[in-house]
Amino acid sequence: MTDGQHISQEDLALFALQALSHEESAAVRKHLSGCEECQTELANLRGDLAAVALSVDQRPLPAGARDRFIKKIAGESSSASAPKPAQPVPIDRSGRVPRAGWAGWLAAAAMLIVAVGLGFEVSHLRARLLEMDNRIASLETGKSHAEQVAELLTAPAAQRVLLSAPKTPPSPSGHLVYLPSRGELILQANNLAPVPAGKTYELWVIPANGSAPIPAGLFRPDAAGNGSVVLPSIPPGVNAKAFGVTLEQAEGSKTPTAPILLAGAVPLSGE
Amino acid sequence: MALALESPSMPEPPDNPAPRDSRTENERAIPSGMSKSDVGGDKLLMDRVRVREQGAMADIFDRYSGMVYSVALRVLNDSGHAEDVMQEIFFQLWRNPDSFSSSRGSLGAWLLVVARNRAIDHLRQRRPAEPMDEVVVASTTNLQIEAERTIIMQKVKGILGDLPKEQQQSLRMAFFDGLSHSEIAEKTGQPLGTIKTRIRSALTMLRKRLEA
Repeated sequence: MTDGQHISQEDLALFALQALSHEESAAVRKHLSGCEECQTELANLRGDLAAVALSVDQRPLPAGARDRFIKKIAGESSSASAPKPAQPVPIDRSGRVPRAGWAGWLAAAAMLIVAVGLGFEVSHLRARLLEMDNRIASLETGKSHAEQVAELLTAPAAQRVLLSAPKTPPSPSGHLVYLPSRGELILQANNLAPVPAGKTYELWVIPANGSAPIPAGLFRPDAAGNGSVVLPSIPPGVNAKAFGVTLEQAEGSKTPTAPILLAGAVPLSGE
Repeated sequence: MALALESPSMPEPPDNPAPRDSRTENERAIPSGMSKSDVGGDKLLMDRVRVREQGAMADIFDRYSGMVYSVALRVLNDSGHAEDVMQEIFFQLWRNPDSFSSSRGSLGAWLLVVARNRAIDHLRQRRPAEPMDEVVVASTTNLQIEAERTIIMQKVKGILGDLPKEQQQSLRMAFFDGLSHSEIAEKTGQPLGTIKTRIRSALTMLRKRLEA
């Protein structure tokens, strides 16, 4: 990805387009944090992208879009400003005429009934408001948790580690390449168990015509369990249906001794 | 590329800004000691936005909303979603004017890149891949005056239309469809390296001819 000491132009362009994978983007971002030259080139590439955006045919805004925006910023401004404290208003008593008698008491009683009723209503509404506040808080907590999970899963800087049982020994395996017409073969085997003294691994070609397995080389793994057979002496023109590895005496064997420790069938043509 | 795929005729002026007489006194407010010509520049408008002047923000909206909306619409192909993206961008600029710095380039170019990126985020239904204030766009292109902008648009369309078809295709798929380089390679059946080269070559040619 880096061109010598810098990110290549191709990859910087793809980064500006957000067209790289998370891992590639993370690598570019890491480099950019300490490279002014690449930062400058990235800004230039974004300038190029702005020009690409200019190629779009201009379309009219949806009806009312401007009003919606103006209302939005006006609403945001008014909600941001602190409410003014209420100012006391002097009561003008000069024009009041004293009213005598029962009419005043009746009015006062009616007001009292209304006030009690309103008190119950206010209390009920407060309880509902509290309940709704609790529900909103609960929903926000859930949303925040979900957002945190999504952020973690998509964070470019997140480290991804595959965990597995620590004491499971890796199983032996082998990769083999065979050219029947020339009788040429290469085997690379890994994770092999060490062979006991006086023993060796032996590779076998199992012919497709059903004839006896043909020995295809002896080998012993190194300390890391790796072993290989390269260009053993095999007659050319033998079509194989499978290959196998067995444990044999150090001098080798004419026929394979069970069990077969590694085996692999030749894929049918076209597979 | 859009310019090759879209009408080569002169674009019609956007149905924007709104008629001036629809503006309120608050929107028209100009600080004392500042002439009308001073007020017109993006930098001064942004300075006024920083002191919470709604009129300046309305001016910026009038100047660039059509452009931002058109880019979002080109990516999303849905007027409702495109308006959402546009409203969000301008509202964020109002709430956090420092997300754009005039030392980094022109406001118009910056808004175009942010619009494209936000629209792609919307298309992919993901959180913004990059905060607005981290987007630095180096561009000296003056997009403040609509007549000049129209000329530049025509020039860009001409340049992109002259590019080889496969370069146009790769750039369009990356820029407007928001596809990754590997997705483009898969869709076109071309090797990754070829796609990278096509996109880079297209941008290089565009820059070279715009500077000429």
